Amino acid sequence: MAEADNILFIREMFSKFYSENVDKIESPKSIKNREFGFTLFKENVMVRHKGFARVEELRGFIKKNVPSNVYYSSAYYSLPEAKMDEKGWLGSDLFFDIDADHIPTKCDKEHDSWTCKGCGLMGKGRAPEKCPSCGNESFDEKTWPCEICLEAAKLETIRLIDILTGEFGFSVDEIKCSFSGHRGYHVGIESDEVLGLDALARKEIVDYVTGTGIDAVFHGLSEIRSGGSRMIVGPRLDDAGWRGRVARGTYDFLLTATPEDLRSLGLKKDVIAEIIEKRGAILESWGASGPWSIVRGLGIKGWRKIIQYGASLQSAKVDTVVTVDVHRLIRLPGTLHGKTGLLKVSFPAGRIEEFDPLKEAIAFKGGEVKLYVEEAPELRFGDEVLGPFKKQIITLPAQAAIFLLCKGAARVVD
Amino acid sequence: MIPRPQEEIKKLLPGDLAKYPFLPEATEKIKRLNFEKIEDILEPGYAPILERAKERISEALASNPPEVSYDPHKHDAGIEILSFPVAIAIISATASDYIRRRFALAEARRVYNLLRVEEEGKVIEIAKRFGWRIRLAGVKIGLEKFDFALHFADYLKSAAPLFHEKDWKLINRPVMKGEVYLSKQDVARLLQEEVRRYIESKIDPKMRPRLPEKIVECADSLKRIHAERIKEEPLVIEGLSLSDVESDLFPPCIRVLYEAALSGRHIPHVGRFTLTSFLLNIGMDPNLVIDLFRKSADFNERMTRYQIEHIAGQRGSGTKYAPPKCDTLQTHGLCPGMDELCKKVRHPLTYYLRKKRRKVGRA
Repeated sequence: MAEADNILFIREMFSKFYSENVDKIESPKSIKNREFGFTLFKENVMVRHKGFARVEELRGFIKKNVPSNVYYSSAYYSLPEAKMDEKGWLGSDLFFDIDADHIPTKCDKEHDSWTCKGCGLMGKGRAPEKCPSCGNESFDEKTWPCEICLEAAKLETIRLIDILTGEFGFSVDEIKCSFSGHRGYHVGIESDEVLGLDALARKEIVDYVTGTGIDAVFHGLSEIRSGGSRMIVGPRLDDAGWRGRVARGTYDFLLTATPEDLRSLGLKKDVIAEIIEKRGAILESWGASGPWSIVRGLGIKGWRKIIQYGASLQSAKVDTVVTVDVHRLIRLPGTLHGKTGLLKVSFPAGRIEEFDPLKEAIAFKGGEVKLYVEEAPELRFGDEVLGPFKKQIITLPAQAAIFLLCKGAARVVD
Repeated sequence: MIPRPQEEIKKLLPGDLAKYPFLPEATEKIKRLNFEKIEDILEPGYAPILERAKERISEALASNPPEVSYDPHKHDAGIEILSFPVAIAIISATASDYIRRRFALAEARRVYNLLRVEEEGKVIEIAKRFGWRIRLAGVKIGLEKFDFALHFADYLKSAAPLFHEKDWKLINRPVMKGEVYLSKQDVARLLQEEVRRYIESKIDPKMRPRLPEKIVECADSLKRIHAERIKEEPLVIEGLSLSDVESDLFPPCIRVLYEAALSGRHIPHVGRFTLTSFLLNIGMDPNLVIDLFRKSADFNERMTRYQIEHIAGQRGSGTKYAPPKCDTLQTHGLCPGMDELCKKVRHPLTYYLRKKRRKVGRA
């Protein structure tokens, strides 16, 4: 079958899904003030500036038009259908996007690949900035939602939720979590407190959760003089907020840091040797006043570097652009992801630990499809592990088949 | 008008209103004194008020750093309270943006210095007039004591002009359960910004035609007396449209600083150094760089010229300085977020040169 037939097949499956599960499509708060956007299977362009007074109208529209992707604005407008500068911005939810693309994992070399759009050169892992062969800067990238990547994204989401509840004081009920339908999580807050925040304020919140611009001297690291001696003091493991977090990050880092790790921070040779030699004493010191004064030759400047690195281990790696953008379009919960055929599914923030995206995002249950698979890594859907596949014809459960078709890694076989 | 919080507000004393004449209670007091029309100020009995109003403006223009004085022995509370709105009327009549911003800064700095030593309870009352959700905290975190806890959203709004200074970044503040912990000095500094913005918003140059002739005359005479100091900024800075300096090729960090300078917003030292050294390195004339900073409310031509010539290598050791590299700018909180090209370079000048080369290539 040709590619057009694949798309027709996917569209038919999406259509069937929406006609049977239209109630799954969620209504964002104050739907009448939101802008909606869609991409269609026929022509791959975004249709935006759409508005709906009631969720029933939105559901009817999706059922009738079967879009490949459905988005809504994190912003509220007086006239959501007007041109951008005439919409009348009323406020915006505080929104975070955590995507495996922004988290370095060791497995991307195994399952991700790229093809240069200029010369067709192919490689494994993340695409380079420039094609090593022809210098082109544009690539077709294939990424996969693997278990390790999804776990990494979940860990960042847990960290984010921890910051939002502990420091920003939001209750778990106010925090809306969802699986994006591909390689990450979305976290949103619709509380009145955040609606009016401008981009600058949101940038500060992003910097806060990502640990950007942190300086240990504002978190308890200082030099005190008593009598004739100088002493360095610093944060403790159980301190609140970033104070405790930088201490715990430093603890984790020094627990396993190699001489190379320490060298890359620009520390001097004898200081590195001293840290390695005193590793046991450093660990023990956390129970008392911390390691700040026990490494000879290590002053405030050196500690700042170590702590800064420790902080990066504790930060939540969110996509900084998404949160700051107060006009962002976001995939609507209860709709299908056009690149995976998985459901964007929301769940209470308190369930994050036990949430299994590859089980709960399954939209197509029952039925099988016969496919030719070009290439795909090992995949799991629910309790079933499939693949890896390479240039083979196989009959797969519907969700796995739709997934490979959406990814462009397979075609339907009669 | 300053939004009033829902909860009951404690009464402030007349002496407090003399210190803080921008408070809504001060306006009410003025109404009670049957002082409703600006024309009334021209009655001979009110001469001391008009005099103090003019003095407020002169102080703002003549002092450096700008600050209006507060001396309860010299002026009684009534004069202090009434002279404030009169000064606002006169400044509206000058229709000078420079005087407007300079005056707002000078009055706000006065408020800062009063608040730093004010009773905690009163600081809270004043903060509430700006709609802040603030309470007394009195907690010790580590070795530091924090007197106040402010709702994080109110912090983010009021501290916005200061985020480029490292110690004002939210991440470098203790934040717990939705509140930012602050010292009295910090709260005073944030209220300074609120007061500055509030006063700027009260001065309306469009009022000039509607004001009594005497007030307009008063404004014009003040402008004449201080003509030397009033730096009327050129609206269009010449030379910047020249083909060798193209602002649309600036990296995001420089664009932010450049726009801040153009609109006269406060730029911290590192930011000024970065912007100046960047502009000089891409070939901008030092005189044009000086003109760029003219809008700043604390502009001092001699100092600015000295600094700029120093960075240009025309003074001191003769070293011509380059702007800091990207990761230094990040550390100082001057990186507003990277675009695609930023990810490929490590220095703002490289960004500019690459973009320029691309543009030339296309042309």
